[in-house]
Amino acid sequence: MKMKYYAGAAALALIAGSANAAGHLIFADGEGDFNWDSLAAFAEAHDYSGQSVTISGPWMSPEADYFNNMIAYFEEATGADVSYVGSDSFEQQIVIDVEAGSAPNVAVFPQPGLAAVLASQGALTPLGDDARQWVMDNYAAGQSWIDLGTYDNAGNGDDFFGFFFNVNVKSLVWYVPENFEDAGYEVPTSMEELKALTDQIVADGGTPWCIGLGSGAATGWPATDWVEDLMLRTQPADVYDAWTTNDLAFNSPEVIGAMEEFGWFAKNDAYVAGGAGAVASTDFRDSPKGMFDTPPACYMHRQASFIPAFFPEGTEVGEDADFFYFPSYADKDLGNPVLGGGTLLAVTDDSDATQGFMEFLQTPFAQEVMMAQGGFLTPHLGVNNDNYASDALASQGAILQGATTFRFDGSDLMPGAVGAGSFWTGMVDFVGGASAEDVATSIQESWDAIK
Amino acid sequence: MSNIAGTKSSLNWAVQISVVLLVVLWIFPTVGLFVSSFRTADQISSTGWWKALFPTEQSETLRAADPDDFAVQLDDGTWAVTGNLYEEGAQASISSWGTSSRDISAYVPGDIADLGDGETITMNETGDYVWTSVEQPSGRGQRVFVTATNPPEFTLENYDTVLGEGVIQSILIYAAAAAVVAVVVGFATKSVGLSNFKMAAYLSGIVVFLVLSLVYGLGTGQGGGQASDNMAKAFFNTLTVTIPATIIPITVAAFAAYALAWMDFPGRALLIAAIVGLLVVPLQLALIPLLRLHLQIGIGKGYLGVWLAHTGFGMPLAIYLLRNYMAGLPRDIIENARVDGATEYQIFTRIILPLSFPALASFAIFQFLWTWNDLLVALVFLIDSSGQTTVMTRQIVELLGTRGGNWEILATAAFVSISVPLIVFFAMQKYLVRGLLAGSVK
Repeated sequence: MKMKYYAGAAALALIAGSANAAGHLIFADGEGDFNWDSLAAFAEAHDYSGQSVTISGPWMSPEADYFNNMIAYFEEATGADVSYVGSDSFEQQIVIDVEAGSAPNVAVFPQPGLAAVLASQGALTPLGDDARQWVMDNYAAGQSWIDLGTYDNAGNGDDFFGFFFNVNVKSLVWYVPENFEDAGYEVPTSMEELKALTDQIVADGGTPWCIGLGSGAATGWPATDWVEDLMLRTQPADVYDAWTTNDLAFNSPEVIGAMEEFGWFAKNDAYVAGGAGAVASTDFRDSPKGMFDTPPACYMHRQASFIPAFFPEGTEVGEDADFFYFPSYADKDLGNPVLGGGTLLAVTDDSDATQGFMEFLQTPFAQEVMMAQGGFLTPHLGVNNDNYASDALASQGAILQGATTFRFDGSDLMPGAVGAGSFWTGMVDFVGGASAEDVATSIQESWDAIK
Repeated sequence: MSNIAGTKSSLNWAVQISVVLLVVLWIFPTVGLFVSSFRTADQISSTGWWKALFPTEQSETLRAADPDDFAVQLDDGTWAVTGNLYEEGAQASISSWGTSSRDISAYVPGDIADLGDGETITMNETGDYVWTSVEQPSGRGQRVFVTATNPPEFTLENYDTVLGEGVIQSILIYAAAAAVVAVVVGFATKSVGLSNFKMAAYLSGIVVFLVLSLVYGLGTGQGGGQASDNMAKAFFNTLTVTIPATIIPITVAAFAAYALAWMDFPGRALLIAAIVGLLVVPLQLALIPLLRLHLQIGIGKGYLGVWLAHTGFGMPLAIYLLRNYMAGLPRDIIENARVDGATEYQIFTRIILPLSFPALASFAIFQFLWTWNDLLVALVFLIDSSGQTTVMTRQIVELLGTRGGNWEILATAAFVSISVPLIVFFAMQKYLVRGLLAGSVK
């Protein structure tokens, strides 16, 4: 009887909700500045009626909704049935599914490491030379994207497996313009100015930085981004590349120098909200909220382009909060390097419709629909940047398209035991008081142990 | 309760105090979670839940109305924007305020702040402000910092997000109406002397709830359609997983337990030892091989697979618990039955099963709670990339968002998902206590 009671209640909710569930497209045909021609041309050339494509990935609400809205156009254009399922434990689940043979058609990997492992087991289908050439021609810094998506296949050489879709920029410093105005601060354009501003804020009785490394089991990762960014600003890009492959030892002076640069910011009680002791224990999701406290707990926060999702409700990026490029040293001639990350799509179970879907993602239209919904950046040179949901996103997109040196998040390129293990925990030790040499040496030892 | 001698122990008060303390300690986190479920994300990150119950002095950043829409030109040619900083209905009492982030309590209510460029702003204790300007103001509303004592503030928004717009209000109202009707019916039937008046009361309550839900619907049906749709689907799916995954192992285990307890056959002791040994095998070990087996024999990912998996994983404990209980039943009854010519099957169904009811019920509760709260087994054996199958735990994880920072949703979802197990627990708790002792006391 009890069951019936609940079943009845739930049945009503189901009936009430289903009325709204009918599929509809988010932007009507011809609306906005989208490249509708590319959609029409794609629809003309492809028909997958009756076929289905299954996708799994790490995106959940709200990114999953954006992705589903984009998928709806593919379904409309080709008649295929596409479903996307997101999971917070995607990285474990895809391994189980691949092992057991129940893999989806397409998997969305949050970083290249896992895709490379699956490729070497023969679980991924190469995308082929056309796709490789397309990335080369259409993405800014195309060769870096190809390198990041090319892995050792199950025996004979390398193949292009991973197509990058949705990229984020990490070299950003967030601030509240009105707080800067109140205090008369200017946005710094070089690392020297940034350090001078940091000292200036302390001299004025404020706290310059909010830094939080807490992230549950992944505690420490925000610090790895800091070190990577500072590595790119103190050393040439090829030294950075050597570091990510361990051709340059972790405890070499170059890396220790970058860590100490980070320590200059994070290990000084006066520079960080809550003192250096709070850095490791503050959750990275709560950390930026300090800028919006009354009175402000800090003035600046260095974090990737996704962080506005954790600003207090109602914060408008561009008005209430803004960002500037994490500047490079004026006295070092290293250009303006950009650190970023991104998700890549790979085919885990091939079919005609799956290939068609991967082609669809290459159309400007597919990328523009994602851009217009927010939370999406692309290095695609053929898209109309007016389609970005906000000016802030458009200028981040411009940073990506104009990158002279783009480097992927180094910790994601290192082996999991280092990049998602000892590097994270090492940085927690480092801000906790351990010396850069000790931490770097122990990380190098953990790397040696898995060679 | 009195002790055997019939006099109360002199240390009785100490026992009672420590019990109360233990209970408070035990429910303390739950209370915190419950209070948090009625707070917004910003409230949760700024103050602790224990402060939510009392008026607190807080500093806030607020903004005057947009001058492009609300500026009015006065007779003397100057411009003014007037209004209240707070949303309608808020009852804050401002103690100090400021216009610069460098000095947030520069003024007290009634002071006039000079903003430069011929602009001034002033406000009273309740947040009514007058913002004047010589030129026509433009841009954004003036930012002001206020330090004010705010009354406690709670919201049902989180429940609307999890369940759908207005669903929680509807459920509470219908449940209250149903409870009133149930009590009235209960008293009425009791006074006319009906023996099972309790049943009548329950039935009438359930009927009232269902009728109200059917006639008026759940929720206002606006905006929240999508969320409630998904949650309702997940709710049904969870029941579809949970009920068979509770009944199948109990049925199988009851037969096995009887055989292991009362039927003599060679190797019985070894079999029992093997089953006890299986208790310590972590189920994670079996995930990939079992899924591969399911795919090979054509079950695939789906309800049948998840039922079988739950059955398998729950079986060692079920058999162990039931066997120990059944082995403790008096030997005489069973031997008498045998002498009277009863078959094993008759002994099992007529004698053992009725006597084992407490143990069966308690295991049913265990298994129900475990399958209800399960995410891992469902992720591996049920949820495929078609998106058609989901369970409530999965739906809740989904609501937490890609980077999982939505604490307010977590707190709320915990209470939504706990509601069914709570009802099951309270409905069957007398068996749980009895069943917990199953096998431990002979």
